[in-house]
Amino acid sequence: TESRLLGLVEHTGAHALFIFNHRRMAITGEDVTLDEIIPISHDFEIVEACHFGDIYIVFTKVRGLELELEVRLPFGSHTRLFLHEVNKAWSGKMQLLHLPGSCIGLFSGREGTRPGGDASPSQGNPSGTRTPDLPESRPRKGKGEDRNDLVRSSSHTMSNKAQMLTMPQFGLRDNLIRCELLKSEELYTYVKNFRFFVGTYNVNGQAPKESLRPWLSYSPDPPDLYCMGFQELDLSKEAFFFNDTPKESEWMRAVSEGLHPDAKYALVKLVRLVGIMLIFYVKKEHASFISEVEAETVGTGIMGRMGNKGAVAIRFRFHNSDICVVNSHLAAHIEEYERRNQDFREICTRMQFRQGDSSLPTLSIMKHNIVLWLGDLNYRISELEVDEVKNLIAKKDFETLHRYDQLKRQIDEEAVFKGFVEGEIAFQPTYKYDTGSDQWDTSEKCRVPAWCDRILWKGKNVQQLTYQSHMTLKTSDHKPVSSLMEVGIKVVNEDLYKKTFEEIVRNLDKMENECIPSVSLSMREFHFRDVKFMQRQVEMLTVFNDGQVPCQFEFIQKLDEPSYCKPWLTANPCKGFLAQGSRMDIELEVFVNRSTATQLNSGCQQIEDILVLHLDRGKDYFVSVTGNYLPSCFGTALHTLCLLREPIQEMPLETIKELILVEDINNLMTEKPLDIPKEIWMMVDHLYRNASKQEDLMQQPGLRNEFEEIRDCLDTGTPDSLPGSNHSVAEALLLFLEVLPEPVVTYSLYQQCLDSSSNHALSKKVISMLPQCHKNVFNYLTAFLRELLKNSAHNHLDVNILATIFAPLLLRSPRKQDLGEKRKTQDFLRHFLDPDLK
Amino acid sequence: IWTGLLPAPPLPQRTMAKQYDVLFRLLLLGDSGVGKTCLLCRFTDNEFHSSHISTIGVDFKMKTLEIDGIKVRIQIWDTAGQERYQTITKQYYRRAQGIFLVYDITSERSFQHIMKWASDVDEYAPDHVQKILIGNKSDEDQKRQVAREQGSKLAKTYGMDFFETSACTNYNIKESFTRLTELVLQANKKELDVLRVPFSEELSIADLEEEETQRDAGSSSQKNCWC
Repeated sequence: TESRLLGLVEHTGAHALFIFNHRRMAITGEDVTLDEIIPISHDFEIVEACHFGDIYIVFTKVRGLELELEVRLPFGSHTRLFLHEVNKAWSGKMQLLHLPGSCIGLFSGREGTRPGGDASPSQGNPSGTRTPDLPESRPRKGKGEDRNDLVRSSSHTMSNKAQMLTMPQFGLRDNLIRCELLKSEELYTYVKNFRFFVGTYNVNGQAPKESLRPWLSYSPDPPDLYCMGFQELDLSKEAFFFNDTPKESEWMRAVSEGLHPDAKYALVKLVRLVGIMLIFYVKKEHASFISEVEAETVGTGIMGRMGNKGAVAIRFRFHNSDICVVNSHLAAHIEEYERRNQDFREICTRMQFRQGDSSLPTLSIMKHNIVLWLGDLNYRISELEVDEVKNLIAKKDFETLHRYDQLKRQIDEEAVFKGFVEGEIAFQPTYKYDTGSDQWDTSEKCRVPAWCDRILWKGKNVQQLTYQSHMTLKTSDHKPVSSLMEVGIKVVNEDLYKKTFEEIVRNLDKMENECIPSVSLSMREFHFRDVKFMQRQVEMLTVFNDGQVPCQFEFIQKLDEPSYCKPWLTANPCKGFLAQGSRMDIELEVFVNRSTATQLNSGCQQIEDILVLHLDRGKDYFVSVTGNYLPSCFGTALHTLCLLREPIQEMPLETIKELILVEDINNLMTEKPLDIPKEIWMMVDHLYRNASKQEDLMQQPGLRNEFEEIRDCLDTGTPDSLPGSNHSVAEALLLFLEVLPEPVVTYSLYQQCLDSSSNHALSKKVISMLPQCHKNVFNYLTAFLRELLKNSAHNHLDVNILATIFAPLLLRSPRKQDLGEKRKTQDFLRHFLDPDLK
Repeated sequence: IWTGLLPAPPLPQRTMAKQYDVLFRLLLLGDSGVGKTCLLCRFTDNEFHSSHISTIGVDFKMKTLEIDGIKVRIQIWDTAGQERYQTITKQYYRRAQGIFLVYDITSERSFQHIMKWASDVDEYAPDHVQKILIGNKSDEDQKRQVAREQGSKLAKTYGMDFFETSACTNYNIKESFTRLTELVLQANKKELDVLRVPFSEELSIADLEEEETQRDAGSSSQKNCWC
């Protein structure tokens, strides 16, 4: 047995089960491989078995391919849903039976997956699964979502009561409570005795001709319950073939008139199979304690099925005891005792009562606390001549006769009625008399007298008070038999029941609360000190699963926010799975890049965020992230930088903020702004003086640590001259231009640049329209580039290279650029690079 | 027709007697340190810890109550009270059917903040959400800053029920949780009535009486015939 993922796949109306191998904790499509495809065709079949209260076992047989697959699905609503979908797919197929072709070929597209079940044998998985993307399948939209689902599904790898409790629709909680109540039944019930009258009468097809009082009401006190069985109620063909007889109501009336006169009784149930009838009455005051009444019949007559022989039975719950009363008429003839044994076994097997909750299995006779079995069992006295028997009866030597009684012998041999008890028979055989008399059978057959009519019981706390026949009744060739029994019934003490019930519910709640996923975090607050532009800082958050169940965690989005965290922050991994007692390190990384720098430089935003770590089916944890950001010239607007005579970090944050918000510089500034930002001057001047002849300038990458030194130098003013290699300074310049919030050629003039790119004069005119500091920067930079070209013999630069490098930095498109546009920006820039054009 | 020979057909399926679980979400709101977590622990686990550990996040526990014969399962959410988390905790409001507004009777400030909490609830919680006002720490009478009458008056203004409670001495804990659950149950009564199905006991008694009537009338009750 191995764990598999199951998926139901639909393609153009056809369905198949896809069975996947998977790695442990499968998360992405790479973790699963397709193992087998089972088309859901007309020869597809599902056979389902259920282990009570545990898990579902499903056998899927595919007869057409001679393949038999057995999968054990986890207990839960998702399994139900999955099976429901499979069944739906199958029944849809059955309606389209006339459509030709095998399904397998239809699935090449492999799309349109549906929720499936996770077929893991050792791990209950109540969560839903989508079939993952197959490695060879083409990418689909919503892939992330699918992956999500899979991650979720692979998480709950326990078949734990508590988890199932969270699915109220399954009624599992009710079942658990029921089981627990049953287990602790002794705590809230006590045994109280009730008097049962049990009687059996083979009436030989006769109508009632005399009062039944001598049989039913001989005791001074009225019994609490009456169970009366009749056999051979009607021997007519009509009764046999149509199971319809007027005798039923005739005998019913006779019975109701014969009940004990000192009490009022209610009829609970009457059940009849041809001539075998069972009537169940209860004293009126007990009626409200009778519940779950069910009646069933089993025919064992002709062909083993007909109702001329067999049994009828009624089961019911009286207070808290389950009782089953069976009335049987077993096979006739003296030599057929084996047949009678077989009838008994047959009745025990085939008599199954439905339960109120149809999801529960049926109940057999032997599942009851108390079984009362009565009837014409037809066992005879054998191996003795008829005269010997009659002699012994005359001498009342029943003890000797018992030794020849087939039933007693068969019980001793444990061939029948195992576990049943019969009281001592102190009455003469009840069969066979001449009708209307107390005379033994005088017919030709001259039957040997026999104790055909018997009453047995099984179960605790049963005491037989009387066991007798009633000779005064002469209607039939049998005499009726009765027994009064004192039966101990489990009665509920309401107060104790309530207490027990509440205790069980409390314990379930406790268990459920203990099984809510829970983790502990190494830290709840993270502070990132002196965060700088383009400089990664990482802190470690350790998540430890201190709960009693595995858990699935994920940083979740807050309301109205596009992501689980601010753009300058990432958590890696941002979701995952933790087994009990295991831990995981999560990197919290702060990184300020071009898209986040501007807002942070200006102080409009701070390094401040709260992450919400969510546990699936569990709690949420808040993790605070704070920090201070050191503003940088990188990502700050040209006009702002022109107003800053000091390095940016020397300025108070409020001043920077003010300067950024100011539209008209002249209103605020007494001092004239700088022509160009000093940072640009520092970088360009440095390159002009040191790197004009540098080989491959602008084309070789700089070093990251040198960039950081250059950035710090520009932002703090120390050291006095720029550190780092020429290549690093060149790269810093390029980066500076790239991260400008507004490019040197402003967005508003971008389109005009494109339009005039073929015309030198027009191009110059556009540049003259730029804001002053932008214009200054543009002219300053292009002049520098022209200087560089003078040294192209050393630095290998030419107009094309510089246009390619600088056009996208100076002329940034507000939209996505296409190739033609790109060429136009380079053409535009070329007007300013060609030294001859000057 | 030979159907009469077949084993008797089964009796008509009896209406299933189901006991439905109802699930409600209740939310504890109030300033940090008023005792929200302690109220929850006392109610669900009957435990009390006097040291204050700030809840940083959102926690919950389950509890089953029986009200009017309906088994009600409540999920009680305990939220971080600290101000800086309030923008985040607000997003949990809309999932609640009932809300406890909790203040500390020894803290005037926590009582004044109830107004702010209440207006947040108005803004972010569902319209028919049920609310009650809780003045916790009633055992610390010597440090009392908010008179019982003040709490009671405020509750009246808002049309809420009011309880003074003590998680420490287990005073009024079960009462207040039960009360809010009752209110939520009443507010959702319409939906619930559909769920209520007679229990099997009641059914079988009905069967019994029906059959008894038949018997008194002397008619035969042939439960087992083919039809």
